[in-house]
Amino acid sequence: MNAPRMVGFVLGGLVAVAALLAPLVLSGSQLTIYVLLGTAAMVTVGVSLLMGYAGQVSLGQAAFYAIGGYTAGLMGVHGLPTVAGLVCAPLVAGLLAALVGIPIMRLRGHYLAFATLAFQLILLSVVGQLEVLGGDIGLQGIPRLGIGSAQLSNTQSYAWLTWAATALVLLIARNVITSRAGRGLRALATSEIAAESSGVPVARYKLAVFALSAAFAGLAGGIYAFFLGYIAPGSFPVLLSFEFVVMAVVGGLGTIWGPVVGAAVITVLVQVLNSLGTEPGMPPYASSVFSYAVYALLLVLTLLFLPRGLLPTATEWVRRALRGREPPAAGDRPAAAVPTGDASGSPAR
Amino acid sequence: MLDVRQVSRSFGGVFAVRDVTLSVADGELRGIIGPNGAGKSTLFNLVSGHLQPDGGTVRYRGARLERRSPHRRARDGIAIVFQGARIFRRMTAVENVMVGAHGHTRCGFVAGALRLPGQHREERAIRDRAWEALEQVGLTAWAHREAESLPLGQQRQLQVARALCGEPRLLLLDEPASGLRAAEREALAALVAELHAGGLTMLLIEHDVGFVTRLADRVTVLDLGEVIAEGTPEEIGRDERVITAYLGDGAGGDRRA
Ligand SMILES: Nc1ncnc2c1ncn2[C@@H]1O[C@H](COP(=O)(O)OP(=O)(O)OP(=O)(O)O)[C@@H](O)[C@H]1O
Ligand SMILES: [Mg+2]
Repeated sequence: MNAPRMVGFVLGGLVAVAALLAPLVLSGSQLTIYVLLGTAAMVTVGVSLLMGYAGQVSLGQAAFYAIGGYTAGLMGVHGLPTVAGLVCAPLVAGLLAALVGIPIMRLRGHYLAFATLAFQLILLSVVGQLEVLGGDIGLQGIPRLGIGSAQLSNTQSYAWLTWAATALVLLIARNVITSRAGRGLRALATSEIAAESSGVPVARYKLAVFALSAAFAGLAGGIYAFFLGYIAPGSFPVLLSFEFVVMAVVGGLGTIWGPVVGAAVITVLVQVLNSLGTEPGMPPYASSVFSYAVYALLLVLTLLFLPRGLLPTATEWVRRALRGREPPAAGDRPAAAVPTGDASGSPAR
Repeated sequence: MLDVRQVSRSFGGVFAVRDVTLSVADGELRGIIGPNGAGKSTLFNLVSGHLQPDGGTVRYRGARLERRSPHRRARDGIAIVFQGARIFRRMTAVENVMVGAHGHTRCGFVAGALRLPGQHREERAIRDRAWEALEQVGLTAWAHREAESLPLGQQRQLQVARALCGEPRLLLLDEPASGLRAAEREALAALVAELHAGGLTMLLIEHDVGFVTRLADRVTVLDLGEVIAEGTPEEIGRDERVITAYLGDGAGGDRRA
């Protein structure tokens, strides 16, 4: 393992351990932020898979967050085992994504963005009309998550559940991306024709990554529903979908950990500004104006100054700081790197 | 191996390929020449599956191909090197080549996500095969560079390596030597000859007629979407129609605009 990767490994481990221990010291309201941050990170990992690696846009990711939430909530309200609800949340979200994806994922670029956005709008209005889902008022009295008689009743345990789920999502995302399937996804992002002629079933792969990203959102939605005990169409506004995209872009598209960084930065900033906005003397609209402004400003600043996002930029700094003390990255196979016999063969340094 | 019969394809009423019939035997190296816009690349796209024919049949190893998707054809052993540099940007050279193995490898999303046994072994086999392919085209020194950062000639060689990594039975090469320096061109000719000796069936489009006639068993000449001649390189060099339509006086000249 070379030095930059080592540093990344150690840093990632430290962050994971710190996040695991944090619930021990955080206050009640801070724990709530922790859970919301974690669920946002899970959804954003999916957005990053979809946008950063596979090159497909979704402006409707909150729809799958909602589907997960409603699946878990509905099953809980009807007395089904809550664990089953938590398991079904990602499954139902993934399955529905696979279904709507059949027509939608044929679209590209702006058309795909609008179609996913439209899907969310349609879903929200349908949910608002459906009596079984509580209509516009929403689903209330969702039980707490539990196995048998043991219940997750305190906020701390939800924080740990969130930690575990986020870790699972990150692990799956990393495993997929570094596998043959992930290579196919990254390939089709830049040339569908070449990917197809290399044997990548492009249409099926796009559906699969759409479903996988929806499943991540669905899992997050399930946790969210059990945690708050109440969900309504208003909990999943279109702005939330934009928020996930902004988090992914700010953290760094096409990275595994970028979404976590983006989710953390934005969630914390929004919270800070929220409390600023509710200080005495501030106008009543201050906090909502602040949070909108944060998305817009962060997005613009990132695109202008750190187009690759926070994490890749920081990684590059570390790499540069370490350069010189490290021989150039050796190949992962001890192949004799002899260029073809003429002058043009050797790579420019 | 490949049997194209009476195949036509038009764009907006204009025929790009018209009633083309072409039969390539196992292990044959068939050269395809013709002026710009003759329909050579269109013919390749009809074989690789990126275009559907308006009429006619394409048979590959005895079976009809027309309804088969491009990725199925890739899995069945048809590989193509495109005329332009169609590489996977933001992936390293070796990763680009590894994608070429997609058709004949199995591990999907579930196997990857859960790191099922076997996925590691397959991954290593793909990587080894990709390195071999990079060695064949002489690109190992570039393996860990982003494909996009390679010079155009090397990007084209990368496509050849990617195609070879798929262990094809039928290889379609669309002007693989364009953009290469003289020495690289020679290395490519040697590689093509070696693959030919190894029994690989190939179709080779080239503007450099000398390059084709030197390597090919037989040559098909296209003009305005139609086959105007077919035969051994010697026969083609003597053919009146070919000389007037394409070769001109200085045979071997590059008529590119
Ligand atoms: N997708 C397309 N849409 C419209 N017209 C096309 C398309 N592809 C090819 N053509 C037309 O079909 C004809 C044949 O094109 P093709 O690319 O097959 O020629 P070619 O022999 O490969 O030429 P070159 O030597 O320049 O590569 C040309 O007139 C071209 O303009
Ligand atoms: Mg062409």
